[in-house]
Parts: sequence; structure tokens; C-alpha cells
Amino acid sequence: MNPKKIFLPLTLLAAALLSVACQDSGATGPELVQRELSEADNSFNLVDTSAERFRYQTAPSNPHGGETGASVAPTGGGNPGLTYTTPEGWSEKAGSAMRDVNLGFGENGEGECYVARLPGMGGGLLANVNRWRQQMGADALTQAEAEALPTKPLFGQPASFISLDGAFAGMGASEGKGDYRMLGLILASDAGAVFVKMTGPQKLVKANQKNFDIFTSSLDISQ
Amino acid sequence: MKIRPFFLLPILLFTVGITSAREVPQANLESYQPWSENTVHSFENLLVQDGGRVKPIYSYARFTLLQFSGKSTARFASNDGEKHSLHYSEWLLDVLFRGDVAKELPIFVVDDSAVIVQIGVSPKSKRDRYSYSELAAGRAKLADLGAEYAEKQRKHQESEKDPQYELERVEGMILTLGRNISAFEYLLGQFSFARKGELLVNENILPPELLKLAATLDPIEMLDKMPEMTLGELVQVIRQPDTGDEDSRMFAGALRLFFFYANSARGLSLISPQDNEDETWISASDAMLNGLESKEIRPWATEQLKGLQSLIEASGEDEATFQKALTQFSDDQREKATPRGEGTRSHLEVQLYRGKYFMYALYAFVFAFVIMAFSWFSPGSKFGRIMLLIASLIALVGLLLDVYGITLRCIIRQRPPITNLYDTVLFITGTAVLLGLLIEYFTRLGVGTLIAIVAGVLGMFLSMKYEAKEATDTITQLVAVLDTNFWLATHVTIINIGYAAGLVATLIGMLYLAGRFFVTLAGKEAKDFFKVLTRINYGVICFCLFFSLIGTVLGGIWANYSWGRFWGWDPKENGALMICLWTLVILHGRMAGWIREIGVHMNAIVLGIIVTFSWWGVNNLGVGLHSYGFTEGVWGTLYASWVVLGVFLLMGVFSWIDERAKKSARREDSTPKEAEPTSD
Amino acid sequence: MANKKIDWSPKNWPKLLFQLFTSFKLATVVLVFMTLITLYGTLAQVELGLFAAKKLYFHSFFVIHDFWGTIPMILPGGLLLMIVLFTNMVFGAIIKSRKRWRGAGLLISHTGMLMLLASGFVTWAFASDGYMALYPGMKSDRVESYRKWQFEIVPLKDDGSAENVWILPSDELSSIRPDEKRVYQTDALPFSIVINGFSINATPVPLSAPISASAKGKEIDGFKLVPQDPAKEAAANFPGCYVEFQPKEEGAKPIEAIISAYSAGFGPGEKPMPFQFEVGGQKYGALLAKKSWKVPFEVHLDEFIFDRHPGISMARGYESKVTRLEEGKPEKAIEIKMNEPMRYEGFTFFQESFGPAGSQPGDRMYSQFAVANNPADQWPLYSLIVTSCGLGIHFLTMLVQFIVRSRKKHAPAKS
Repeated sequence: MNPKKIFLPLTLLAAALLSVACQDSGATGPELVQRELSEADNSFNLVDTSAERFRYQTAPSNPHGGETGASVAPTGGGNPGLTYTTPEGWSEKAGSAMRDVNLGFGENGEGECYVARLPGMGGGLLANVNRWRQQMGADALTQAEAEALPTKPLFGQPASFISLDGAFAGMGASEGKGDYRMLGLILASDAGAVFVKMTGPQKLVKANQKNFDIFTSSLDISQ
Repeated sequence: MKIRPFFLLPILLFTVGITSAREVPQANLESYQPWSENTVHSFENLLVQDGGRVKPIYSYARFTLLQFSGKSTARFASNDGEKHSLHYSEWLLDVLFRGDVAKELPIFVVDDSAVIVQIGVSPKSKRDRYSYSELAAGRAKLADLGAEYAEKQRKHQESEKDPQYELERVEGMILTLGRNISAFEYLLGQFSFARKGELLVNENILPPELLKLAATLDPIEMLDKMPEMTLGELVQVIRQPDTGDEDSRMFAGALRLFFFYANSARGLSLISPQDNEDETWISASDAMLNGLESKEIRPWATEQLKGLQSLIEASGEDEATFQKALTQFSDDQREKATPRGEGTRSHLEVQLYRGKYFMYALYAFVFAFVIMAFSWFSPGSKFGRIMLLIASLIALVGLLLDVYGITLRCIIRQRPPITNLYDTVLFITGTAVLLGLLIEYFTRLGVGTLIAIVAGVLGMFLSMKYEAKEATDTITQLVAVLDTNFWLATHVTIINIGYAAGLVATLIGMLYLAGRFFVTLAGKEAKDFFKVLTRINYGVICFCLFFSLIGTVLGGIWANYSWGRFWGWDPKENGALMICLWTLVILHGRMAGWIREIGVHMNAIVLGIIVTFSWWGVNNLGVGLHSYGFTEGVWGTLYASWVVLGVFLLMGVFSWIDERAKKSARREDSTPKEAEPTSD
Repeated sequence: MANKKIDWSPKNWPKLLFQLFTSFKLATVVLVFMTLITLYGTLAQVELGLFAAKKLYFHSFFVIHDFWGTIPMILPGGLLLMIVLFTNMVFGAIIKSRKRWRGAGLLISHTGMLMLLASGFVTWAFASDGYMALYPGMKSDRVESYRKWQFEIVPLKDDGSAENVWILPSDELSSIRPDEKRVYQTDALPFSIVINGFSINATPVPLSAPISASAKGKEIDGFKLVPQDPAKEAAANFPGCYVEFQPKEEGAKPIEAIISAYSAGFGPGEKPMPFQFEVGGQKYGALLAKKSWKVPFEVHLDEFIFDRHPGISMARGYESKVTRLEEGKPEKAIEIKMNEPMRYEGFTFFQESFGPAGSQPGDRMYSQFAVANNPADQWPLYSLIVTSCGLGIHFLTMLVQFIVRSRKKHAPAKS
């Protein structure tokens, strides 16, 4: 279905007939031409950085939470797929709409680890840290405390690392499950937020701490 | 011809299929007390705004029940062994005013019991109907799965149909069932605010202290005493954590209850707006929330709510009182709606559905077919001719019923006959029947009547199937570009006449090829008869070309007026173009001497494939909106019809080879070859 | 006829050719192919999108179609078929046909069809179409192409406005292959422009994004240009390229930049963001912009009325109240609605759509007009009138003949 396949012989024929030698520096194209000015040419948005010019609102050092620029374009490319290494003993779980990756581990699959991405700030770092802390029955942090959290790399950028022990009360659950541990990474920027969250019984999570690092550092955008 | 009576077999099967008593699902009711006819009639004429227009609740009930149940009647047996068959308006009366009864009626159709198993309810047979109560145990699971699949479907649309988000069949069914159950709950809970604590649905989401409060709290009175509040503020108060203060707890509780009532009462817009400039009717929910927001409209809102409350109160009394209340409510509605120009043709709409014109048309065509079959016992005799005449007249009755229905629909909408796909079915059927009868009138061979009857049966059957399958109102509002009676009346009508002619040509082709095949098999000849058939079909194909071509070019001109381009190679345009092209192929191929008799008919069959593709196929090429269900159904039916047409093509190939063999045998006898076709 | 010996000698060629082009056989073959092309071109739209399928199947001389997705076959394209059909009709149905009353209807209808094909050709060759989108209160005289992009160099004045605009036309730009380097210049500009790595759809990606690590292109100012697959909707493509501005002055260093369509103005009134550089003390801006042209008047959108059916989100109708301005002075106030375009000085303004997508009632919305300039604008209408007269005459005569004959015959026809 490639039209070039048909046009190739035609082009060759035309080339032979006209005997135009355009092999060597045929790199020179026609002269530029002028076009009529219109009202719209009276004003341009003269921006200074490439980031602004390409519609990355934030500075280039803090881009779209690991997504391609396509997602900020008005066409809305959707979330690109993710690639990752599934650590030993972990398995894919049926995903939910909000989760890009959903993995389970432990004998009865009582441990889980998921990746979710949200457009925009997703509420910002502080709100999300405190939401998770609340789920584990821990007190809220201040903005300064949240910003001072240790970081781990995620998609090549520093993501805030949260490690909490307590009774876990997930979404919708009214009573917490005791002796749980939660490990989480939050990468929040203006352009989008990425969350990785692992929960499970303390012992199990402890045994899988290494796997968490393996998993998070293997995450990448599929191309 | 001896084989003819065998045509009766399918009729027999068809009749048996229609009349065979189906098993009626059981309802967990001791007995069922039907509504009196007067009550039902008073109810039917209530007005409701839905799908962008004001319509009688009769239509609303029809399509709601169709959507839930796939049928327009609710059949069930009560525990006393009685069998009942509820009309849709009776059913909706039960839902709105006798919720406890309605909850037991088995009306939710489930095509695959896997759905039922998945939501954790014990299934009945593979395909069955369930009552709300039967499904209640799986309600929470259904909601969860429904939300998940809805999200999946949304992603499917946003990702431009990424296959990983495509809903599987059962998933789609769960989503549909979940939506139906939820719609049913809104109807059940619609008047909860007026029921003094009798909630019917969703009691489980209210804590016990609120249930207690509900028995004493009248939300209409409450509305009168409350401070002004927007919906946002209301939600905020409800969400506030408990401060332990008794007063504020009471207040928050009352608000929660108020919000619960308002939320339940969404969806059924029975109240014409206060402002005559405003076109949007409101539901009890809107009345409650708008009243809460502004003290200015509160007296009016209260009055509306009291009107509804009076209905509920009357429904608890004897039926005569209830009927009076319904009539009163309906009169009040009309008093306001008529000056606004709304609901003025609602009685015609009730007439349209009560008259069941399209169903009776189907019966007429089936009956005509039976009579017609009798004429084949002694074709050509006086008896045969009389039977044929009677069959033709009955087919004419069928046509008139169809035309009457179409006319009513035109008057109701104040539009030309075709505004959506359902209309095309009615219109194309009518046109095809008319063409068949005209052919009969001019040729008197029995062929035209047969074509008319077959077209009538197929078309009317399709219209009923389509209506049940879509289960949405077929009298729809138009998108902006279609808002032009001129183009609807010209382009749309003409192109559909072209479709109809193309299908008639196909039917003649089928008749010819099958006839030729069996005649050849029987070792007989009926040359003259077949020659006339060819001439008829040639005429029909010319007719088809005329209307398709003009219709297509008109469509281009319309496109040029509304979008600025005559032709855009858009699928629908291409479909029409292919019909024109193929009729031209037939006409020019005949002039070129490539196709003669069999060729014309075989190409007419190909034309049929093209017409059905243009009519149904192109609409579903890229459509993901009804990804489960209808699209699947359309392609299935289309492929099946093409297989059938393919069989006829094979018969044609057989006859053609046979003809070639005979001709070369004759040529060896050095007889002169067949004359060239004339150039008309 | 088939048995006759054909004289293949060269002096008989013109006659053979004439016979070929006047034959019904040719007409039939062309019509069959035309049907096939229409079918495959329609089905291909599911995969390729409308624009690409149209170009491949209908605006082409030949097309390679994969039957059942695997077996490639060469089919004649729509353009070739229509040219042959046109020739066939001219010779067969007009020149060769016997001029007698019985054939009058056919002669007329074929003339109508020729007019239609001719109008199609004129439209294809000479018509332009684009759009103009305005928020209420805005005015414009510039029409933009839906999907053609051009490269623009703007010498900037001190106040940031354009002194003039130099362009590299869209056809030239889109002919540059991704691996090709081309040089452009003009005497009026003190630098030449070297374009390489042009891609029809590409996204500038910051280095910090994980995706950029594997991207091949060169890094400029913290960004790489990452080519994407062409979008199904051709209008959703965002081209981009690497550019070097090479000052003509001896020994001057080239200025490098990524120029992307992401810097163009997206909505109506949104200002484009050119790449800025300086050569010889003059400031320049470079950008990719939609191909655009001026209409000889201005259109001011006074009001955009958007009407929905009550209670549902379906649009019932929308219309724009506009004022046409000539040389800055109001000339006439008009309404443009669905099915009621504004025709003026060869241009036709249609109420095409509105935006931004997902607007809710009460939002500020813009109105979008399709602007067409088509010399053959009304020809299809004339052709329709001619064709339907011709066909009407022809088929009516036929029908009358048929009825008369079958009336005579119908008794013996019964077997």
C-alpha cells in the first residue's frame, strides 16, 4: 500500500527524461518567498526558553512526571505504556481503572504494589503524603516536612519516599488492617503526578523492600 | 409446478414460532392486582421531558421497559398461579406508585447467565429475566464492576479504540445491566421525599438514626425553614466531621436526608419551568435543590413538590381518588405546557404506539403471504387469480398501515419522514412494497405482489427488532446540521427511494435465480416468464439509478451548502456512490454485451450487497459508541444476509454454466446465435 | 465481433484507439474498478483515517491494495479512473452517439455527468479550503489551512511585530525527507537556512524526560526532537525539524534550533512563539505556522449563539453574527448558520464548528468557519439539473414503452 513503490519508477523515468543531475548538492531548494502581512503578524509571543516555546510550563529540569510532551499537546496523546521488571515472586493482578500497573505478592497475594499516574499536580505532594499517612493512621506533615522527605529515583528524577508502619485502612475500608507497612514514591510536578505504592503485612513488605527498589528503578516509558 | 407448496413450510414454522407459548417467569408475589383501565389512561397522558423534548409518559414507559427487558410487555406468573401480562404504562405505574410490587417483577433481561454468576447471584437459565429483588444481593458487586467497565469503556473511546480497553461481551452486559438497575432505582426512589420514611431503595446507605429521622421529617416543610444554600455548601455541611454538638448533628442529619431525597428524585422531568423563556423542564430533585438555593423560588418549588406529594398520597387511597389525582396533575401540566407549545401532539404519539400500526402491517404481510401461497396450488386458474388479488389487497392494507404510521410520526415531529436510521427502515419498506405492487399492477404476473410481501415481512420484522434492540426513543431530536426540512425532504427521501429500488432489484434477482435454478433442475423451461422478469428488473435498476444518482448529487450539494465541500469521500457518501456505480456497471455491461439475463440478476444481487453495506455497514465502520451489542449485531446480521445472497449467486453460476453448455451444444447444431440485446 | 480478425497494423492504431475509448466495455471496466476503489478506499479509512485513505485511493493514479491484508495488487487509482471515464464519455456518449430523438435523454444526462466530473477536477486543482476561528469580539482576514504547515522567517521590529514574512511553502517543506538536508536562502536575508530532520509529526522532549535518553536526534537547549507516527487525523500532526541559520558573513557561526509546530498559536487569537535569533544586528523569528492566505475583507465576530436541545447536551443549532469590514470600515452585518453560508467576493464562509472541545453551557466559546474558494462552487447544482432532466426523459420513455409492451404481452407471458 505504499504509494512510493509506484511512484519510484515514474520518478526514475522523469529523472531520465529531463536528465537533471540532482544527486550531488541538490540540497539547495528554491528561494524563499514573501507572503502578505495580515493583522495577526502584528504580535508574537516572544518567549525566552525552549521549554516555554514547546509548551512545557515548568522549567526543563522538572518536566512532565516522566511522560512525553505529547500529553500536554492539545491532541492529548493519552498515557504512554510502561515497561518494568516484575521482581521474583511478584505477579500481575487484575488492574483497576486508576492503576497503570498493579502487582501482587505474598503467599495469598496480600501484598500489593501499584503505579498510578494523574494529570496535573494530583493534589500536590503534601496532600498526597498526608492522604497516605492518614491511611496508615499517622499524623499529618507540614509542607516543610514533606519537602524534606528522602528521595529515590523514579523515571530518572528524585521522587519523595515514604515508609510507614501502622494499621492500613485503604480506600473504602472502614477498619484498618493491623501491622502493615506502606512504601511509597510520589513524583509531583505541574504537568502530572506519578504514584508508586506498596502495601502489605510488615514482614512481607520488609522481605520485599529490595524488590520495591528493583521494580521502581526499572520503570520506564515504553517506546 | 409441484415444488411450490414447499414454500408453505417456512410460513408454518414462522407461525408456530410466533404463537408457541413461552414459559413465563415467576414473580415472588402472592397475587397481582391490575390497575383499572381509567387509571392507566389518566397516567398515560402525563408529560415528561426526555431526550430534549416533551413527550407523553406513555412513550417514556415504552422505551424504558424495552431497554430493561427487550420487550414492551412484562409477563410473569404470581404465586397463585395466575399469569399476567403488563403493558408498559401499567408497569411504570407500578414502579412509580407501587414500588414493592415493581421490585418483584422479572423484567431485567440477562442474555448470558455468566453475568449473574459474576455478581454473585444464583442464575436461572442461560437467558432469563430477573426481578430487582432477585438481583439485589449482587447490587454492590454490580456497581463495582459497572464502574470499572465504564472506566474501561471511556478509555477505549479516548484511546481511539485501543483493543486492550475493548469490553468483552459479558463485561458489556454487566455494564448495561448495572445502568439499567441504577435507572430503575431512580424511578423507584423518585418520590421517596413524599413517602414519609418509606424509602423503597438504598435504605442500606442511610445509618439507623437517619432512618428514624426519615419517618418524622417532611422534606417539603423542611425546605421552607432552611437558610439559603448552594449545592456546594450543602455537600460541605454533610461532609463536615461530627463535632459532637447535638444541634449541629441534627442539622447535618436533616441535610443529609434532604440531599438523599433530592438525589433520588433525579432524572424524571415532570415539572415545566417557572420561567416561560426557559425550555428545560425540571425534576423533583431540581425543585428541591433550586428551592434550597434561593428563597425567591422556594414558594414555587414547594408548590410543585406538593403537587407530586398529592399524587403519592392519593395512590395510597382507593383507585378512584388516585385516578382523579392523576387527571388533576395531568391537567395542571397541560395548562402550563400548552401555551408553551409543548405536549400539543402527545395524544398522537399515544395513538401511534397504541395503534401498533407497524406490528399489524407485519401481520398483514404475513397473512398476505399465506393467501398468496394458496394461489400457487393452481396458478393461472380463476381460484389462483382471485387468491392473488386478495393477497395483493392485503399487502396494500399492510402498506397503508405503514404509511399511516409514518405519517403520524411526521406530524408528531413536524418533519419529513426520515430523520434517523429507524425511519429509514419504515420508509424503505413502504417504498419497496409500493414498488412491488406497482410492478404487479403493470405486469399481473404475481411477481410484484410476492416481492411486495417479502419486502413487507422482512422490513417490518427488521423495524421491530431494531426498535427493541436500540430501546431508545425513535422520535429523536436532530443534530444541528440536519435541522433543515428542505434537505431532509429532498436528499434524504430520494436517496432512500434509491435504496428501496436497489433492494427490490435484489429480490427480483433472487426470485429469478432461484426460479431458474429449480426450473433447470426439474429439466423444464419457462423462457418467456424469465425474460419478462429480466425486463422488469432492468426497469427497477434504472429506477434505482435515477433516484440514487439524484439523491447522491443532492447530498453533495447539501454538503457544499453546509460544510463547503461537495464531495469528501466520507463513508456514507461513498456508499451512495457505489450504488450509483454498480447500477451503471449493470447498464453499461449490458450494452457491452457482457451480461444478459442471468448476468443482470446476479449483478442485482451484488447491488443488494452494496445497498445493505451502505445502509447499515458504513454507519458501523468506525463507531465505538455502542461498541458492545448493536454494532456486533449489525455485522452479524449483515454477514448472514450476504451469505444468503451468496447462495443465490451460486445458483446463478450454476444456471449460467448450464446455459453455456446448452448454447455451445446448439451452436454445434449451427443455429444462429442469440440476438444482441437491444439498446434501450 | 469477437470472431473478427483485428487489424493491428500501426496505421489502424488511431481507429483502434477510437474504438477502445468509445466502447461500452471500457466504460464497464472503469466503473467496476471505480466501485472497487470506492469500497477499498472506504474500508481503508478505518485504519488510515480519512485524509490518508483519500490521498492513497482517490487522488492517485495507481494504488497498491493488499487484498485480505496480505496479497498486494496494483489497482488503478481514482484520479486515473476518472480521467479515463471522462474521455470515454466524451468519445463514446457524446461524439460517437447517434444524434436522434431516442438518444436525447442519454446525451443530456451524460453531458451532466461530464460537467460533474469537470467540476470535480476544477475543485481538486484550483479550489482552496481552510478555516477561520474567532472568539466574539475578534476580527481577522486570514484563513488557515487545516493541515498544511509552512516554515516562516519573520524579521522583527522593535515592538515585536513583523516587518515582513518570508516563507518556505508547505509543499516544499513536506517534501524534505527525515534523513535529508536542504539549504534555502534569499538575497534579502543575510543568512541561509539549513533544514534537516524534518518530520511530519514530532514532539520536542526535554532531556530530563526518560524517553529522550533513547531518542536519536541532536540535543539543542535541553531538548531533543522525537519523531512520532503520523496521526490518523492528518490535522493532528505536529511537524518539527532541526534548523541551522548560517550567516552569509565569512566565518560566522551557525545558529541551531529546533523548530516545532508546538510553538504555533493553537486557539484563535493565541500568539505564536517564534524562535528568536539575531544576525547582523537584526532580530528574526522563525516558526512553523499553518499555511495561510488573506481574504480581501475582514470578518468581525459580533456574537456566537450556541443553542442546545433542552435538558441534553446535543447541539440544536449554532450561528454567528458577524460584521464584514472593507478597508477597516463596517460594510455589512450578516448571520452565518448551519446550511446558510456567507458568499462574498469568491469566498464562502460556512459555520463549521465551535470550540474549545468539551465546552459547557456558559463557557466562552469560539466559532469556526470553513472558508472555501472554489471556482466550481455551483457547478454540481447545474450538473444535477442537466443530469436529472436527461435521465428523467430517458427513463420515462423507457417506462412507457415497457408498460405498453407488457400490457400487450402479459396474457401469453403467463406460463
